[in-house]
Amino acid sequence: MTWTCDLVEARLSDYLEGLLQDAERAEFEAHANSCPDCAPLVASVQSLVGEMHALEELEAPPRLVYAILDKTLGPRETTTGWQGFLNAIRGLASPKFAYGAASVLATLVIIVSSLGFSFKNPKLADLRPTNIYHNADRQVHLVYARSVKYVSDLRVVYEIQSRLHQEDNNLQTTPEEVLPKAAPEKAPGQTDDRQPSQPKQQNRANEVSHRLELMAAEFPVVSGRSIR
Amino acid sequence: MEQDAQLVQQCLQGDGSAWEELVRRHSRRIYGVCYRFTGNRTEAEDLAQDVFLRVYRTLASYRSAHGGFATWVTSVTRNLLIDHYRRTKRDRVTDSLDDKMAVVENKESAGRRPDEQALLGELSGQLQNALTKLSPELREAVILRDLQQLEYAEIQIVLAVPEGTVKSRINRGRIELARILQQMGVRPA
Repeated sequence: MTWTCDLVEARLSDYLEGLLQDAERAEFEAHANSCPDCAPLVASVQSLVGEMHALEELEAPPRLVYAILDKTLGPRETTTGWQGFLNAIRGLASPKFAYGAASVLATLVIIVSSLGFSFKNPKLADLRPTNIYHNADRQVHLVYARSVKYVSDLRVVYEIQSRLHQEDNNLQTTPEEVLPKAAPEKAPGQTDDRQPSQPKQQNRANEVSHRLELMAAEFPVVSGRSIR
Repeated sequence: MEQDAQLVQQCLQGDGSAWEELVRRHSRRIYGVCYRFTGNRTEAEDLAQDVFLRVYRTLASYRSAHGGFATWVTSVTRNLLIDHYRRTKRDRVTDSLDDKMAVVENKESAGRRPDEQALLGELSGQLQNALTKLSPELREAVILRDLQQLEYAEIQIVLAVPEGTVKSRINRGRIELARILQQMGVRPA
């Protein structure tokens, strides 16, 4: 009896598991080896079964056992009270939670220390709302005052530098040129209508030297420069 | 298997540690069956817990005449899986559509995240994709035979069908699985 493709397909697993009689096996192989449909089918199923048998058993999640025991035996003695609390906390010890908690803590430390609370000499009084408000107020004013001073120092330096530069080019200046009296971002050479009236050209030299003397007197450091 | 029967007796006498030992012995295997059948890690965990809950509650009804303890637990597992499958069938693309539209992933395989895929390994993951495309009857037969290495006699008990039906389903399941993998573009090693 020659085997058909249908028969080969129906007995394929028996063949793979060695359950065919000798004669049956011979017939099976005779057909399968020569049939263009059955040959690849037998080969692919054979290799698939081999691969499945070689697969490792899947790992179960570790918590599965504990979940099962909790649901069947119920919460056990060791998990009540402090131990239970510790177990719950342990569950929070994932990296995600740790990073979040650490960054919140860092932010709190920064804020609290900037409000005047010293960690070296902690005083409960420092945490009272009125004290916090006063500290915050003081900090804000300090910061403001410092930044104002910084900006005005910058302005002074810039003005002196630009006027010295101006001095060098005094003969070359055009009537339209205006001394940069405003913030540094105004480019020299541009008129500014919002400024109070500018000194006239004939008084400019006097004005410049007068101002330089004033500023030199006010800022001893700057007066170190030679002024021509 | 002898030890399992002893542990069962101890459980029935109230020995909690005997129950714990049984759980530790069988939970990994049962989780594996559930995962291979559902293709979803969360569902597999929930179902595995349900299996052991059912086993714990009905432990007194276990008879060694029903086969070994492992076979009984597998039967409970299979019944819960089929019940779960029928309950969730409505949410799923129908099986016939699955066969025709190989590119459409059904809800089960869509439940697997990329990191789970990485955990599975390439072949295991491809196999899982293909398994969820099989009909449930063929799927459970292949899982029990080729992934759980159960004997035909055991599978016969678990599925409650004659041995001829068991062999036929395993055979058709394997052939169908090979065809699905080929369609997916996975070349056999």
